[in-house]
Amino acid sequence: MERVLGIETSCDETAAAVVTSRLDVESSVVESSIDQHRDYGGVVPELAGRAHVATIRPVVERALVEADLDPRRPDITGIAVTAGPGLVGSLLVGLSFAKALALAWDLPYVGVNHLEGHLFAPLLEAPSLEWPLVTLLVSGGHSMIVHQRGPGEHEVLGETLDDAAGEAYDKVARWLGLGYPGGPVIDRLAREGSPEALALPRGMLGPGLDLSFSGLKTAVVRASEDHPDLALADVAAAFQATLAEQLLRKLRAALEASDARSVALAGGVAANSALREGVAALARERGIAAHLPALAMCTDNAAMIAAAGLHRLAHGGASALGLSARPAWDLREVA
Amino acid sequence: MIALAIETATPACAVALEVDEATSEEVLDLERRHTEVLVPGVARLLKAAEVAAGAIERVVVDRGPGLYTGLRVGIATALGLALATGADLVEVTSLEVLAAAAARLGATGELVALVDGRRGEVFAQRYSLEALAALDAPRVVRPEVLAPELAERPALLCGDGARRYREALGAGEVLDLAVPSPAAALELARGRGAVEAVVPLYLREADAVANFSTRTRAT
Ligand SMILES: [Zn+2]
Repeated sequence: MERVLGIETSCDETAAAVVTSRLDVESSVVESSIDQHRDYGGVVPELAGRAHVATIRPVVERALVEADLDPRRPDITGIAVTAGPGLVGSLLVGLSFAKALALAWDLPYVGVNHLEGHLFAPLLEAPSLEWPLVTLLVSGGHSMIVHQRGPGEHEVLGETLDDAAGEAYDKVARWLGLGYPGGPVIDRLAREGSPEALALPRGMLGPGLDLSFSGLKTAVVRASEDHPDLALADVAAAFQATLAEQLLRKLRAALEASDARSVALAGGVAANSALREGVAALARERGIAAHLPALAMCTDNAAMIAAAGLHRLAHGGASALGLSARPAWDLREVA
Repeated sequence: MIALAIETATPACAVALEVDEATSEEVLDLERRHTEVLVPGVARLLKAAEVAAGAIERVVVDRGPGLYTGLRVGIATALGLALATGADLVEVTSLEVLAAAAARLGATGELVALVDGRRGEVFAQRYSLEALAALDAPRVVRPEVLAPELAERPALLCGDGARRYREALGAGEVLDLAVPSPAAALELARGRGAVEAVVPLYLREADAVANFSTRTRAT
């Protein structure tokens, strides 16, 4: 049986995990530096890079120990590490660490695309899901709809033309004075508000299956300026409902145009309750299976990187020790 | 004893390997390609010495001050090797390695080691070469500010900061020594105790407000 150590340091999470070829997650450790970034309203690259240097060794060691492996001579068959996309000063910490392990243990390693990692997250909870699969991947850095014929065979059907969904949350939260990160706080507040209290223009989500959030973000700012008496909870509820509705409309169109037998959510914004309920309802309506991974698998983690790495290593994709970090690595370039 | 030293504090990337008192040293690159060249370079050096990576007993790493990305590559690599092999991890600073390398070349008297800090600044520290002892604390300073101090109390200069700011620094003989030598680091670290974690010597706060990124790149 193959067993891979995954390492992820593309943004503000230092993560390590051990996953087997049966897709059993034997350990998954995530250490976030989010508290250091809160005051700045976004991830500060230099702070994130510094935090990774401090946490990489203890995080990897913990992942090995929690999987009952000897950190000196672990019973693993390979190493997977995020090589991009992400912050270059963060990526190179995990990448350098992984190369050193590969050299010292004399094991193959592979640089994994972070987005492909997200696409493998639903498989960790449902290894025998039915293909083809359409995934709505929405996070602070990325928003796209991806069709997969099988593991690792992906086609991007549409993606954001401006902000990522998570960025729209952060920007609206900052405008409303709700702090950072915006997703959890708006989601929580939205439950106390009424989405009908504020009518936001619909249909601003971009052409075809592409996505766009800047129009919605501007509309929220304008509406809350025009109606200063509106309760924050109502603004949050209206924003969240409109965003979810528009994402679901695109997802529905993608499903109608495809032969998908499953639909999945991935990425940090998949924690959003309105979106989870909407995808489940859409799947029921179409008679296909919905895969809504647990929150810990939606947000950045190394189990998903290990899962993608298992696939890549099994298909001859081991990387050379001279590999560079690829901060702008497009999912379409992954072959 | 099998010991490896990793040097990434400047745009140069260099390594040294000691196997039973025989030391080999190699400058792998001068153009900031630390991520690409460091681990392949270590692999090559080990192979030439017919030593398995798993046999490394001691890893000496430069913790700066210097180029932030270079330091992160060097330190992360050292941390990974130490975890995987159980080797002792030993830290040195770029400025003390420069001073040690100058002393090895036979230089005497006082020396100010200077590493290019970018943004018109240098990382600087003064040493007595005979005792190989620091005479002040490492600091980040503009060359124009350092110049009058050097005029008043002359010293030899070395490091890539001395080379780049030769004019602005005014007085002082500049030694032909830009890259902190990992072979000198091996020697300097001899007898020094192992550490559990390596904290880079940044000497600056993270430029949080100026470089403020409103983008959250992932999750
Ligand atoms: Zn992510």
